[in-house]
Amino acid sequence: MDNNLKKINIYTVYLGAFLLILPLIAFFINAFSFRWFYPQLIPKELSLQAWVRLKLIPREGYRSLDGFLDLWLSNPTIIKALVNSVTIGLIVTVVSIIIALPAARVLGLLNFRFKKIIIFIMVSPTILPPIAFVLGLNINFISWGFSGSFWGVCLVHLVPIMPYVVLTMTGIFANYNPDFEHQARTLGANKFRTFYLITLPAIAPGMVVAALFAFLVSWSQYLLTFLIGAGKIMTLPLLVFSTASSGNPALTAAISIVFIFPAIVILFFTSKFISGDSSATSGFGKL
Amino acid sequence: MSDLIISNLYKSFPGMDRPAVSNVSLEIKTGGLIAFLGPSGCGKTTILKMITGLFQPDSGDITLDNNSLLPIATEKRGVVMVFQNYLLFPYMNVNENVGFALKMKGVEKDEIDKKVKEMLELVKLPDIGDRKPKQLSGGQQQRVALARALISKPKLLLLDEPLSNLDAHLRDEMRELIVTIQQKLNVTTVFVTHDQEEAVLLADNIALIFNGELQSFASPKEYYESPVNERAARFFGGVNFLKSTINNNKIETEIGPINYIQKNKKDLISNHLLTIRPENIEISKNNSFKENYFSGTVTSIIFSGTNTRYKIKVKDTVLDCSVQSIGLKEISKNDEVFIHLPAEKIWGMND
Amino acid sequence: MGGDRLKIVLSLTPPLLIIGTLFFGGILYGFLQSLGYQPAIQKYDISFDAYYNVMFSERYAKLFWTGLGLNLWVSFVSTFLAAAFALFGALTIRKTFFAKKICNFIYSLNLPMPHLVVAVGMIFVFSQSGLLARFFTQIGFISSPSDFPILVKDKYGLGIILAYIWKEAAFFFIILMSVLQSLGENFEELAQSLGANKWQRFRYVILPLVMPNLFSASIIVFAFSFGAYEVPAILGVNYPQMLPVMAFEFFLNPDLNARSEGMALSMIIALIVMILVVIYFRLTQSKIRKD
Repeated sequence: MDNNLKKINIYTVYLGAFLLILPLIAFFINAFSFRWFYPQLIPKELSLQAWVRLKLIPREGYRSLDGFLDLWLSNPTIIKALVNSVTIGLIVTVVSIIIALPAARVLGLLNFRFKKIIIFIMVSPTILPPIAFVLGLNINFISWGFSGSFWGVCLVHLVPIMPYVVLTMTGIFANYNPDFEHQARTLGANKFRTFYLITLPAIAPGMVVAALFAFLVSWSQYLLTFLIGAGKIMTLPLLVFSTASSGNPALTAAISIVFIFPAIVILFFTSKFISGDSSATSGFGKL
Repeated sequence: MSDLIISNLYKSFPGMDRPAVSNVSLEIKTGGLIAFLGPSGCGKTTILKMITGLFQPDSGDITLDNNSLLPIATEKRGVVMVFQNYLLFPYMNVNENVGFALKMKGVEKDEIDKKVKEMLELVKLPDIGDRKPKQLSGGQQQRVALARALISKPKLLLLDEPLSNLDAHLRDEMRELIVTIQQKLNVTTVFVTHDQEEAVLLADNIALIFNGELQSFASPKEYYESPVNERAARFFGGVNFLKSTINNNKIETEIGPINYIQKNKKDLISNHLLTIRPENIEISKNNSFKENYFSGTVTSIIFSGTNTRYKIKVKDTVLDCSVQSIGLKEISKNDEVFIHLPAEKIWGMND
Repeated sequence: MGGDRLKIVLSLTPPLLIIGTLFFGGILYGFLQSLGYQPAIQKYDISFDAYYNVMFSERYAKLFWTGLGLNLWVSFVSTFLAAAFALFGALTIRKTFFAKKICNFIYSLNLPMPHLVVAVGMIFVFSQSGLLARFFTQIGFISSPSDFPILVKDKYGLGIILAYIWKEAAFFFIILMSVLQSLGENFEELAQSLGANKWQRFRYVILPLVMPNLFSASIIVFAFSFGAYEVPAILGVNYPQMLPVMAFEFFLNPDLNARSEGMALSMIIALIVMILVVIYFRLTQSKIRKD
């Protein structure tokens, strides 16, 4: 009896797994098909037409290195969106880590009055929904001139990112022994060399995790970019959204694949770093 | 020349009701091997950290070679510290760890390699250069830490509890090594410990610190034979204390009148304390003593290898007496015996 | 020691400044706007009219209350089902079996997937001409797209629920796996040796063990799904409408009054989320006191 129950469990799990990857399968088939209509399970025609329409791949006959470069340099929307998403992601990642580092060090190593309140303040953007602050912020940004600007979008992306970066790095510092730095100082290393040779290698793994979080959160932002960008800043999620609304499944699928590409890459990365660390996973859950 | 002079050092931290370090003054000659001894929290490590520059004193000065250390940044002081848990940099191998100080100075790579080799041979670990710290045993890590500290020929070497992490036989080896190297390089060395045995084994002179204040700065022998106060005496294992008063130039104790010679003549107040080491009390079944003899009962006998410890009750006071086990007299529990406190072995303290 | 304090203040200022001005500033300004205070158009009076309009006026009341109901329904059901699904998966997958590693990977796969993509994926699979519909047509269960139930862009938020389950199950799964793997086996074996059968072990050993983590994870998921915009924007319909979508549309309305109402609605959403979090904390405090 027990064995049968176990079998049922296992087959249900298989079914669940199948359902879980079904959308991904759907993406890939859609992206490489042409006219894949109901009720076909397999498209009659496989083609790269969606990618050509997306202007990511040149059309037939132009698929040399020059052809690709020409296409991309003509700055089609997909390239604009890709470049923006990557640039914004990198900028806010770097900025957030630089800002968070001294704060995380202080929070992780020292004890002081108001520490709990400060931690609560740092974490609060993860508790309340973004719509609560971005509407009011948008008005301010308009009057400050940030509306529709690249830097305005970067600024607003910092809001959901800072809590994760600060929290992750605080955890790193909580497990860090600052005596190593003093040891290096007595051996003749000045403050900069101590940071570079002693502190950085020790906190590097944590920093990588924090950076991946930050990038992924920024990469996935829709509402914030749409509102503050005021239609002038195009990023991938905006493109996905508008294409999804347009009703061309192949195109939507192709863009979606581009969009989830870093997520897949990061999955492989973090399977090395995450070993049941719930502070890390709670970050991903918020995406 | 690397004389270390500490003058009137004060340091307090918020939240403490007494200063961590209070008016400590010391002079240590070049090449000396000194211990800061005291119980946990007495301030000894704080003094060390002020010498390295991690903390700044509230007032007072620390000079090395007649130059004040206080305005100088940690990395330029020429003062090297070895921490209790060695703190070998985990991302570097042994060679890189040991050569670190020279790399900071900008020494040529070949020269560094040569010096690293020399130092590793000095600490008797010639072949482990490529290993990472986590591949080393505790004793090996400590030697590497020592090599790393000494490679740049610092003016002052500070050691934090150097022997406390080691088991007995490793301790002896390490003690030998520290003393040998220190003498060979003639580097002024200060180490911090809470263990008086460690201090006595290693140090030329011991600075005893209680509650942030310096009690005394003297040789180990003096702490045994002429401690400055009862607490210091107890810290070094003294157990026999007699309350005594001066009456008309005669000294009365709780066990009877007593005569003694104090080598360092001190002005003793009327109510003071006498102490004598257990190993200096003589026991006999027959009384052949001329003075300072008292009769009492043996209340317990404890055999501990080289020595045997007798507790003798005289009037209401119990005295500890320690005798070499060889040549033991036939004394058993509850026997009536005579004890003799030789006049020159008695020491008087005011508190 | 003054130097230390200065260092602390300087280190904490940049992130606090960002969160303070952008986040709290945005909320504050939104709140003021919701009260009608809009200096940009020289409106300085304060009133709760916007709130009243949103909740009780003839124009919006029905929309609001059905929207609120939909929000609560969607959040509760998706959180619960995602947790249950993940629990089931975690309990089964931790025992070794064929393809365990692959299943482990698949169940945690969706964690870094952006919600937008998840929503689109739901359309591809569950729409009336989607993958599942085509599959059922191939095996003869149905004969046309309209025979397949409306699961996405539907009145009951089913598509939204599916999207949240699909993504949040991975979140629950990873948390559960780590808890079960680190603590579960020892306790279970112990209970087994004391005579407990499978259901008893589940009820008295496993469930209490995972409850704290499950509970806090649920709060996070619930709060998030309650206030999120993207998924309902793609998978929702015009009536009933989920509150965040409603708030956003109000805000985009060129009528400035509607803008106040949008802010008011977003404040209401935030308030509800806060109440939930506070309830959660109260509950966990009382649990700690009981223990």
